[in-house]
Amino acid sequence: MKDLLISRRSIAGLGAAAAAAALAGCGNTPAEGSAEAAGSAPAKSTSDGVQLQVFAANSLEKAMPEVEALYTEQTGVTFADTQYKGSGDLVEQMRGGAPVDILITASAGTMDDAEEAGLVDADTREDMFVNDLVIVRAEGSDIEISSLEDVASVDGNIAIGEPGAVPAGKYANQALASVGLYTEDEGEGGEYDASIADKVVQADKVGTAAQYVSTGDCAIGFVYTSDVYRYDGIEVAYTCPAESHKAIVYPGAVATGSENADAAADFLAFCMDNEDALAIWAEYGFELA
Amino acid sequence: MFPLGRSALCVRGGYGLLAPREVGARGVARIPLVLFVITALVIGSVWCATPVAAWADSKDDRAEQNALADADAGFGLTDFTRYQTGNNRPVEGEDIGYRYPLDDDADVVIAVTAEGKALVFMDEEASIEAGFAAEGADDADVFRALAEELDERAAKGGETLADNPGREWTISTASEAAVGPYRVRVGVAAGGRRYVSVIPAEMPEGSTPAAAAEQQGLDLSEALSWVDTARLVPASAVTGSAEATLGEQAANFFSGLDMRPFWVSLKTSAVALVITFILGLFAAWKTMGASSRLKGVLDSVFTIPMVLPPTVCGFLLLLIFGNATPLGRWLIAHGVSLVFTWEAAVIAAVVVSFPLMYRTALGAFESLDASMLDAARTLGWSEARIFRRLMMPLAWPSIAAGTVLAFARAMGEFGCTLFFAGNYAGVTQTIPIAIYFEWMSGNTDVALFWVIVVILFSFVVVLFINLYTARSLRYRERGGTTRRARSAQHDEAARAEEPAGDVLRIDRAALRSLIKDAAASPREGGR
Repeated sequence: MKDLLISRRSIAGLGAAAAAAALAGCGNTPAEGSAEAAGSAPAKSTSDGVQLQVFAANSLEKAMPEVEALYTEQTGVTFADTQYKGSGDLVEQMRGGAPVDILITASAGTMDDAEEAGLVDADTREDMFVNDLVIVRAEGSDIEISSLEDVASVDGNIAIGEPGAVPAGKYANQALASVGLYTEDEGEGGEYDASIADKVVQADKVGTAAQYVSTGDCAIGFVYTSDVYRYDGIEVAYTCPAESHKAIVYPGAVATGSENADAAADFLAFCMDNEDALAIWAEYGFELA
Repeated sequence: MFPLGRSALCVRGGYGLLAPREVGARGVARIPLVLFVITALVIGSVWCATPVAAWADSKDDRAEQNALADADAGFGLTDFTRYQTGNNRPVEGEDIGYRYPLDDDADVVIAVTAEGKALVFMDEEASIEAGFAAEGADDADVFRALAEELDERAAKGGETLADNPGREWTISTASEAAVGPYRVRVGVAAGGRRYVSVIPAEMPEGSTPAAAAEQQGLDLSEALSWVDTARLVPASAVTGSAEATLGEQAANFFSGLDMRPFWVSLKTSAVALVITFILGLFAAWKTMGASSRLKGVLDSVFTIPMVLPPTVCGFLLLLIFGNATPLGRWLIAHGVSLVFTWEAAVIAAVVVSFPLMYRTALGAFESLDASMLDAARTLGWSEARIFRRLMMPLAWPSIAAGTVLAFARAMGEFGCTLFFAGNYAGVTQTIPIAIYFEWMSGNTDVALFWVIVVILFSFVVVLFINLYTARSLRYRERGGTTRRARSAQHDEAARAEEPAGDVLRIDRAALRSLIKDAAASPREGGR
């Protein structure tokens, strides 16, 4: 009886071990097909070629994968799972020690931060895209905005990126400051005017702001022109005048910690020069700087 | 894995032995079977969806999306592409103005001007081949309807051709047109490709478009709102524009689904569970034996991750292992580089699930009758043996429940993982993180799919705890702590003393026979 018990237990143990092994096996298979991201470190060279880790501003989330796929097709260089977050978050994540080859942010300020912290190679820095700041509303909404002042009289919440981490939020605050609805001209560290203060909803990424408007949680939101093309159900209500905020540029640079700095620089050049890549940017509304 | 496998074994063993005596046990024994089927269904449904990266087959999808034909009019449009912006970079050194790409085989261009006019440039040969009669008002209307529909599909949320019903449409076979102070040219060849380009209408001799625009104060990018390009073809050349059926849509959805979050979640929480199980039991056992003052301190330290917000745990872990602190830098310099790796996700899961395991195990151990443990000691049992042969079997139902809870907690971990391990698809992107990021990127359907998977999974977990507890209760009432205990017939009286409803209450009869057995068997006792 006792022996039987032990043997049953060991069989169960073996079974459990086998199941665990099978699990581990299954876990690896799906990853092979795509980004070759299997393994623990997100960014490293694979045996058969270079793998690049890109950190890109959240607004590039839909266009960048297509450009990466095109590059992989043409050169065989693969990409680890690209991170699309608020530019400030990306810089913090790099500071935290995440391995990165290329950083593309949505504002000169965040790239300056990265440069000051020694995270990116200043010589490789290049302005890649320009964008416009727009106020969006849900598709078919009857909200009319003909000037920035109209924001104060909108009935409903206003989605704005958190200015510390989201450049779009900072630009939005600058635009609001130009009509006295925000106290700091720099777009950060100030207070909203009482008429809109309790209507402002801060978003952790510019995409989140667009999503809030798309789902109806907010009546209007401050996003980039290019965001309108990547979220369903929102449309431009008003384009903020270029002089109401600092110029919106997307600088890109190679990270100092990159083990494939040359390959990274090649990819940045490809983004800016390859005609097929340019066609993809054009489809998604990114205008080259 | 171990505890689950083991519990399943206990159930099976119990069934085999008890069935002849108690028919009611049959129903209880079916529980693991039911659980197995439900779990298999959940895993199976997930498995069936072949894991493919989301963009892998987008090309095919697009071909169907951007083609449309009108059978009556006899022509259609394919390869419809919408360019929201252009750029004014020179092509291989040649400045051709503000340019939009134009595919080699595209023969229709719809340029939408800033004023909202739609200028259609059509290749004459292609229009004849496709049977398009430029003069016929009917064909123009059909063309407009096709273009509006395709433009809407390609607009990605921008303004569409259909938005303005009063839009002025001009169809011509010319290759250029004047738009206010600008000139729009179609099919401009440069660097081996073709473009739609915008240049100033007035171009002084020898000047470049950029120089002329600057001189005249023009912004070439403002002439056009956007540009659509397409191929005009006979209707018979357009295929696959039929609406997908619900089944096909579902098939498309599942084949495009990235299943990696499921495997990452399962792998991460399974490994975390093994670590948590061992550490948790060990910590609970050692804490129980500690002096009361030390016990208070240990208890607080072990329990604190449960009361702290997970983001605080993540932040602390990031400080310890990250590049931002001297300690982190020292660790990284010595080869411990964990931040944003899969190991980090496991550590995060262990940290948040450990207190659950530890608390349940400690609670179960503490409710054991101390005099019984002492009795075992008087028989010369080692502490390790008491733990293995006495404490573990007696506290097992609680420990099993704690294990399942810890697994569920590890599976649901979000804040700490996001902080410490980030969101890398296929590496650290677990289901909860996938839900958040898929929703944020506008893929609500994918987020919803994962939500359903998680709800099903949680349902199975809760069901398991409830059924297992109920089963252990009845099992225990019968006096079935061990097989040999069950064979003893004297447990009737003992059971009468034992109030039902408390799984942690010790079956004295079972214990008695257990100790008696052990004392009687020299082989066991000697160990």
